[in-house]
Amino acid sequence: MAIWRFVNLIAATLVTGSLVLVGAAQAGSGGSIAWGKPTEVISFDPHVSGDGASWSFFHLVYDQLLSTDDDFGLAPGLALSWEEVSATSYRFHLNPDATFSNGRAVTSHDVVANFQRLTNPESGGVWGKQLGEFEAIEAEDDHTVRFDLALPNPVFLKVLPLTPYSILPMTEFEAGTFDPAVDILGSGPFMVAEHLQDESWTLTRNPHYHRAGHPLIDELVIRILPDDSARIAALRDGRVDIATFANPDTPLLLADVPGVEVVVQNTTNYFRLDVSAIEEGSPFTDLRVRQAAHYALDREAISNIVFGGQAIVDYPVPAGLGYEACRDDPFYVMPRDERLAKARALLEEAGATGARVGVIGSSTLMIYPLIAQVVQANLNEAGFDAFVEQIPAAEWYARVFAEDTDFDLAVSWFAGYTDPAIVLFWWTQAGAAGWAHGYTITDDRLDALVARTRMLPEGEERNDALAEVCSVINENSNVLALVNKPDYVALRSDLIEARIGRNESTFDNLKYAEEFSRLD
Amino acid sequence: MRLLLHIAARMGMALLTMLSVSLIVFVAMRMLPGGFEMIILGPIQTEEARAVITEQFGLDRSLPEQFLSWLVAVLHGDFGISMITRIPIADEILRRLGATVQLTAMAVITALCVGLPLGVAAGLADSSTSVRTCGRLVGALGASTPDFVLGVALVYIFSVWSLGLTVGGYVPFFEDPLANLRAMILPASTLSVFGIALILRTTRESVLTVMTEGYITGAVARGDDPASIVRRHVLRNASLPVMTVATIYLSLLLGGAVIVEILFTVPGVGLYTWNALLNRDYGVTQSAVLLFSGVIVTCNMLVDIAYALVDPRIRGRRQQ
Amino acid sequence: MLVLLVLAGAFGPFLPIGDPLAIGAGPRLSPPSLALPLGTDELGRSHLPRLVGGILETFLLSGAAVLLTGVIGISIGILAAYLRGVTDGLIARFADVLFAFPPIILGLLVVSLAGPGTLAVITVITVATLPLFIRAVRSVALGIASREFVTVAEVAGASPVRIMAVHLLPNIAGAAIVQLTYALSIGMLIESGLSFLGLGSQPPNPSLGSLLQLGATYMSIAPWLVFPAGIVLALAILSVNLVGDGLRDALDPIEGRRLT
Repeated sequence: MAIWRFVNLIAATLVTGSLVLVGAAQAGSGGSIAWGKPTEVISFDPHVSGDGASWSFFHLVYDQLLSTDDDFGLAPGLALSWEEVSATSYRFHLNPDATFSNGRAVTSHDVVANFQRLTNPESGGVWGKQLGEFEAIEAEDDHTVRFDLALPNPVFLKVLPLTPYSILPMTEFEAGTFDPAVDILGSGPFMVAEHLQDESWTLTRNPHYHRAGHPLIDELVIRILPDDSARIAALRDGRVDIATFANPDTPLLLADVPGVEVVVQNTTNYFRLDVSAIEEGSPFTDLRVRQAAHYALDREAISNIVFGGQAIVDYPVPAGLGYEACRDDPFYVMPRDERLAKARALLEEAGATGARVGVIGSSTLMIYPLIAQVVQANLNEAGFDAFVEQIPAAEWYARVFAEDTDFDLAVSWFAGYTDPAIVLFWWTQAGAAGWAHGYTITDDRLDALVARTRMLPEGEERNDALAEVCSVINENSNVLALVNKPDYVALRSDLIEARIGRNESTFDNLKYAEEFSRLD
Repeated sequence: MRLLLHIAARMGMALLTMLSVSLIVFVAMRMLPGGFEMIILGPIQTEEARAVITEQFGLDRSLPEQFLSWLVAVLHGDFGISMITRIPIADEILRRLGATVQLTAMAVITALCVGLPLGVAAGLADSSTSVRTCGRLVGALGASTPDFVLGVALVYIFSVWSLGLTVGGYVPFFEDPLANLRAMILPASTLSVFGIALILRTTRESVLTVMTEGYITGAVARGDDPASIVRRHVLRNASLPVMTVATIYLSLLLGGAVIVEILFTVPGVGLYTWNALLNRDYGVTQSAVLLFSGVIVTCNMLVDIAYALVDPRIRGRRQQ
Repeated sequence: MLVLLVLAGAFGPFLPIGDPLAIGAGPRLSPPSLALPLGTDELGRSHLPRLVGGILETFLLSGAAVLLTGVIGISIGILAAYLRGVTDGLIARFADVLFAFPPIILGLLVVSLAGPGTLAVITVITVATLPLFIRAVRSVALGIASREFVTVAEVAGASPVRIMAVHLLPNIAGAAIVQLTYALSIGMLIESGLSFLGLGSQPPNPSLGSLLQLGATYMSIAPWLVFPAGIVLALAILSVNLVGDGLRDALDPIEGRRLT
């Protein structure tokens, strides 16, 4: 019964473009809507913050130059329009109505100073590197900005909707009245009225928001409820109207809660397995052992057993973006028993049969240890002696994303964003520097291939290049894509009208929050 | 005079204990794998950006230097700021103390109100085998059910049928007393079950002990009113051990309700400490553990002093 | 009851009830049936063998830890009671410091330092049960050390080690065993609490606490996961406590005081 409701829901989402629940209802005005959020925001500066849980919050308060539509395409953001002056030059026309919630208009100076802060290695960190190098960023007038790139970068526009490229009030920053690590002040639909750590965020409508009459509601309260059962209970008794989940069984768990609809939000994010390829003493320094582990993986089993069949097999080039690259790779298409045989043979050849390897599945996400357990079973079938390590985030980070690593395998996930070239950058030496260079091999051929892919415009040639990148990545078997990672949004469609995007690539789960309204 | 000396010595000891606990926590925290800069920036970040954070909070200074500067600040009443929210830790702890204190108070009062009469009744009616077995079983069962087992069962029952109470959804008492009570009854009852068992057992045992004393037999022989015997002799003499366990129970709750706070999302000090430890918000953990150890040590000291006041013999024996 | 649980735990691996680790033994989250008497969990594993395995894990870990507590606590307690003076003071302060730690915070610290797993759990239980146990042993040993036969032995020239081993140890054994039983029940509480928070024994090995934690997530659609685990855990601790009460009544009706 529950399953059928779920299947219907998916069918419905596939047919309609973006989902409007309870379409006929009258749009209300004013009122307050509460969002049950599983994780607290831990860093307040969007330019350096690196966790999706904080990102989905930032989008309510901050705007970016560009935004995305429901099909991973570009949409206007703070910039109403933009033009490609040349292969290395872009011009953006800012929305003249865009205003920070303190009442000051967003000017081109804010944009220029933002990107200068982002590209400064001292303050910008890893996210500046995705932008490439600029020759110049110039304010042509108060509402026109021109970016001159050092090299052509067809991905440049696709990067701009991502959270780290949020536009902060840089005039206030320079005057010392705005500290991004403490203050939250943006030009987005909402502004922060109160924050009680681990308890709630009270957001009120930004009275100066550029879209007239929006947001429709006066207040959006975010309740931090880490426990799935507590969020379900809150949905049931109406203390929250909308709640987000990471648990793939969310539709099942909510099947009998009256008035609740669950939207499965497709993302381009996918789970991955990091393999320790250079640490001394790791059996995976031997390419054959890495490939054995890769052949041993059973992605269908992960999907069926951990996700109840709802997840889809994923590739280094995110499946969600719809590229055909990687689909016929032998690591994927060979029948499972042949792959197992191959894995056993490779392992034996390397003299590593029975190698004892740990699979880190951090307790950060309930799903990680579950995936780790299926991976463990897969590996043991191929002749490994694997065990699971369920550790908190800080320990996991310290053992994997550090100078001196101390692990064998670790489950994690990548954000796929809006274009494959963005996530593929993390596989290059420049992209991995500072966080993944402790466990990834250096492969100049791969670097050159990724750089080339980045330069190519959409088309046949780019698809071929992507396929080539993919096969090299799989060949190296250093970071293994597993299955996709959808988001789940549950809402009381009997209480509120809320449009939820079907596809989401920038963690903007409640992208249409400004259009939410109460029905009562 | 001897008593004052004794109290002074106990207080000195208590301060020393708190200092040792602080030092241990400090050293242990800094030995933990993964630092604050990893948590706040996430795994994908450059070393430069991480260095900026460590420098900003002085995490790159030597450990003795960091500990001493923390200690000096604390002695001046400055607990520093949370590295995540940049809010003064003292303010944040004060705000959250409301929830923890309320939870503890509700649990302790419930435990006393239920445990005490049951314990007295069980003690007085001890000659009846069925009462004896029953009292024992209830006591043992209450002491044997882990709070999270009970909590999970309550979460299940009350999240399926709301029944007027809520799971999570804490609001401060003075904002909305009714909603506050609806959210706090479940966690408080979860915590109180252990306390009921504890107080029931202790009361029953002390009543039994008192009942064998000569003056009770004497009073009974004199034909005194049974109610007045209970009031004047039994309760008075049984009160000390009961007070002792109640105080210890109180101190355990103030510092140990972490699981229940997590389970019912009560934003108390326990949850604060837990999250701070996971997020490596060092100053918060240090201050909170200092507070907890302070409460525990103070409660123990009070019990000790109470014994000394009431019964000099005990003091003599304890000092052997 | 205890015997039944211990037997179930000990012989569980040999019973024909299935493999606790076999993923996909049935459809995920399927209700109890003849083949799968307690249904299946979130990875399609049969729940009954996992429950039985969890009992074993809980008893083994807390048992090992309490044994350690016993050895350390008895030695330290006797030492403190016999030597008195500075040693006694130091040991009492040491116990105070351990006692002043909130147990769950202590658990998280130790687990993070040692890395999660068997060793960390045993350490946490030992550290948490030690202070009360030392106090109990010390107070009993104090009483005995001042008895006549000890003085006589001292006068007769017996070495301190001999006095502690031959005269003190056997006389506190009864009280110590009672206290250790209570420590075992506390150890089981701690072990399951740590596993409940994901800090205890590592998956896929079942522990009553971790079964309960995952079961709690699914309790609205798969109550067969959470309730047996909760009931078994409470019963296991209850039976240990009752055994403790029985032992106390039999061995030491006056001296024994409950740890809790």
